[in-house]
Amino acid sequence: MNVIFMAINLAFALIIAPLIDGFERKVRARLQNRRGPSIFQTWWDLIKLFRRPSIEPRDSVKSFYIMAPYLTFTAILTACLILPTLLPHSLNFAGDLIVVIYMVSLATFGFSIGAFSSGNPYAQIGSSRELSLFMSEELVLAFVVGVIALISRSLSFEHLFPLPLRISSILALALLFVIIYVTSSRIPFDIPEAEPEIIEGPLIEYSGRHLALLLYFIHLKRFLLYGLFLNFILPEKPGIRIGGFLIGLVILSLVYSSLEAYYGRFRIDQAIRLMKKLSFVAFIVWIMAMVGW
Amino acid sequence: MSSLMLLIPIGVLVGASILGLVGRGKRTLHAVNILSATASLLIVYMAILGFERGLELKLWIYASSSVIASLNQLIFKVDQLSAFFLLILGILGFCTSLYGVKYMERYLGKEDLRLYNFNYPIFLLMMYLILTCWNLLWFIIFWELMTFFSQFLVAFERNKEKAIRAAYKYFCMTKAGADFLVLSVILIILNATRFNANYSEISKVLPFYLQSNPSMLYVLTSALLIGFGVKAAMVPFHSWLPDAHPEAPSNVSALLSGVMIKLPIYMLFRFFISFFPRNAGIGMLIASFGVITLFFTMMYALIQEDSKRLLAYSSIDNIGYVLLPLGTGLYLMAKGNQFLGSIALMASLYHTINHAFFKGLLFLTAGSVIYETGSRDLNYLGGLAKKMPLTGFAAMTASFAIAGMPPLNGFVSKWMIYISTLSSPASSLFGIIALFISGVTLAAFVKYFTSIFTRPSLEEIEAREVPLLMWAPQMLLAFLCILFGVYPRLPVKLISGALDSLGVQMDMSRLVIYPSVVIPDRGSFSPIVIFSFILITTFLMLLLIPSKGKQFSVWKCGIQEELNVRLPASSYYRDFEEEFGEVYKIGDLSMHILKKLVDLGKGAGLKFEAMSYDLNSMLSIAMILIVILVAVLGGVEL
Repeated sequence: MNVIFMAINLAFALIIAPLIDGFERKVRARLQNRRGPSIFQTWWDLIKLFRRPSIEPRDSVKSFYIMAPYLTFTAILTACLILPTLLPHSLNFAGDLIVVIYMVSLATFGFSIGAFSSGNPYAQIGSSRELSLFMSEELVLAFVVGVIALISRSLSFEHLFPLPLRISSILALALLFVIIYVTSSRIPFDIPEAEPEIIEGPLIEYSGRHLALLLYFIHLKRFLLYGLFLNFILPEKPGIRIGGFLIGLVILSLVYSSLEAYYGRFRIDQAIRLMKKLSFVAFIVWIMAMVGW
Repeated sequence: MSSLMLLIPIGVLVGASILGLVGRGKRTLHAVNILSATASLLIVYMAILGFERGLELKLWIYASSSVIASLNQLIFKVDQLSAFFLLILGILGFCTSLYGVKYMERYLGKEDLRLYNFNYPIFLLMMYLILTCWNLLWFIIFWELMTFFSQFLVAFERNKEKAIRAAYKYFCMTKAGADFLVLSVILIILNATRFNANYSEISKVLPFYLQSNPSMLYVLTSALLIGFGVKAAMVPFHSWLPDAHPEAPSNVSALLSGVMIKLPIYMLFRFFISFFPRNAGIGMLIASFGVITLFFTMMYALIQEDSKRLLAYSSIDNIGYVLLPLGTGLYLMAKGNQFLGSIALMASLYHTINHAFFKGLLFLTAGSVIYETGSRDLNYLGGLAKKMPLTGFAAMTASFAIAGMPPLNGFVSKWMIYISTLSSPASSLFGIIALFISGVTLAAFVKYFTSIFTRPSLEEIEAREVPLLMWAPQMLLAFLCILFGVYPRLPVKLISGALDSLGVQMDMSRLVIYPSVVIPDRGSFSPIVIFSFILITTFLMLLLIPSKGKQFSVWKCGIQEELNVRLPASSYYRDFEEEFGEVYKIGDLSMHILKKLVDLGKGAGLKFEAMSYDLNSMLSIAMILIVILVAVLGGVEL
């Protein structure tokens, strides 16, 4: 039975992730007084890209360059199986929170190796920014994970969800909210991609199916992180949970995309400094969790 | 009969080193390396025998009845813990010896190869003896000899001043550390066990003695932590390692990093688990040293621009990852949490074997790059994966493994470390820092891998794939990295045997081992089976629907001419390094203080030398020393 539910979860993730992006594009367009494309536009784009042939740069190291999008996509897909999304069924086992974090890191690893293998200097700059930002996020994320583990004395999702109501848990979730925003490379923090500066950075050389896979990966990652956040606050009752999950997705993407519409891009050092400041906040939250608030 | 087989590797290695003195040509070099590889295989066989039934061999050297009496008998014994470390030594020794056959040829005619030929087998032999001997005094003897002979390997390129200095620093620091060991061993033998240095006897007597003498416990703990800490390159005693390891020939660096700095870990396991009563405070102490070690050295590894120096720093970082769960395990055991405690100890041993494999492999790949291009400069190298695909693959596997990426072996041990540290409040902060540092490790190894192998080079670099004898050991280690990741049942079985021999009971029934993840309690599916399923299907997709793309030059925003720019290795993570500059400031400050201390010591030495020309003052100092000695010896009953 569990297998079927997990298959439903996975199919839901695969279908809905580009739709969420379409929805967010619409919201952003509205906020900027544009009409915006249809919410299916992201899907059409993906389908179009999947049918195009892909071009390979001559300077690239071909094997790693081609492997990277597949590895990245696979890692995030596996994470989707481990984390419960629409239905509360998943591969649960002890310590699966760590595995999800590592699957996301694996995706980052694959992504940056692909970019470095493409041979394009812009991609190298983008990747190095990506990893710098990743390291500084990891510091805040590590504290959040530590706080969550302290509060629920476990690292497995079935004991984590939902998080008990405490000051430290609320603050930890607030930090998680910020980290999700940063990790999903949205506008103030889309420094690795930064279209006007380094023309899509790591994505610059990819085309056709490989580009489609990487774009799909970005959408799936955003969906996954939404799911992670929602799981912490949704109640366990099945009926309420499904409804709550769907509404939560809409609310989160509304909030995130409107934030995105109002900001300019940070420089990389500003973003890292912000993360460093946040890690001090996270440290204080950790102390609060230690004293039992 | 079979116990006598323990002597065979000794014979082979001694033979190899004597043979090595004969000539400095190609043939001798090959013979020495092949004999060492054979001996390593024999060591692996000993390890397997040791796992199955244990081996014991007693040799009477001579009869005497004084303090030296404990040296009368040379006992070799292989229990499961030493078998576990022998396995590491055997496998890595085999790979590095085989690799040495071709690799060392690059020094033919440039250096005196006898230095290598003689010392390399002796170095292997000493590590073998340390792991098999069952007597603390003999252990000390072998330990000092290992330091002594390995320094010549560090100073192999004797015309380079840097190598000589590194070897000197290495020898002085580890020798000073070993003196602490000598002192603590003498204390143990004199006070607790009455001239008996046999491990079995010590483990019977010492815990009770130390329980009644807590002050002795703290004295011994600090002496042992300093003594073993220097050899294991624990921060603050680490500064010899980043100088010494890069200077040795690459296959020796692999052994130094993979096995030699694991021997202190072996002895720490012996001492703190079977010889000492379990004490929560000691556990916390070790764990905090582990965390400091892994934090600072990884941050320093991130900024290195020399491939082997980066690897050396990362070796220290991994010692931190071994010490952290060891300490946490001791703490949890002392607090009565047997289950999580044993998982932590298991993580420690698991990471030990993992690190031996992937770091050995990384040093070998760095060696292959040196063999082909002669360079260790990350700023200069680039694009070698096209020319050396097998080495590139091996380096990628090792980088994935060391960054702890599933489904490779590094992930399993790191996962166990997080499980055991994050769930208990006392070690929560340690787990958090370890989690952050694993992100930094990932970035550092993306730097290592991409700057050597994938990022295009500025100028054309002449290179081709290394010969079979060099890439085959690399592939073997890469295979082991994958095997221990997707099939952890095997190492877990070995480790639980090793812990069992130390008296730590592993509750195997509560451990569910899935490929790639060891899971306490329950679970419904094996995640990695699904991961590999998806991976295989995507790769099949890749094969079945090949994208028929054309090849173009990279996109340069429409400019025709070559850009000829690339990201130098020095500025990979410059912004991050600048923002986290405080870490480096702390490091520099401590270096500064250390320098001041050294200068102070030098000044005192000079003063002493000046004084030594004055007979009167020297005589009075000697008198005072004798008085102190008499007073001290008066307390000792022989």
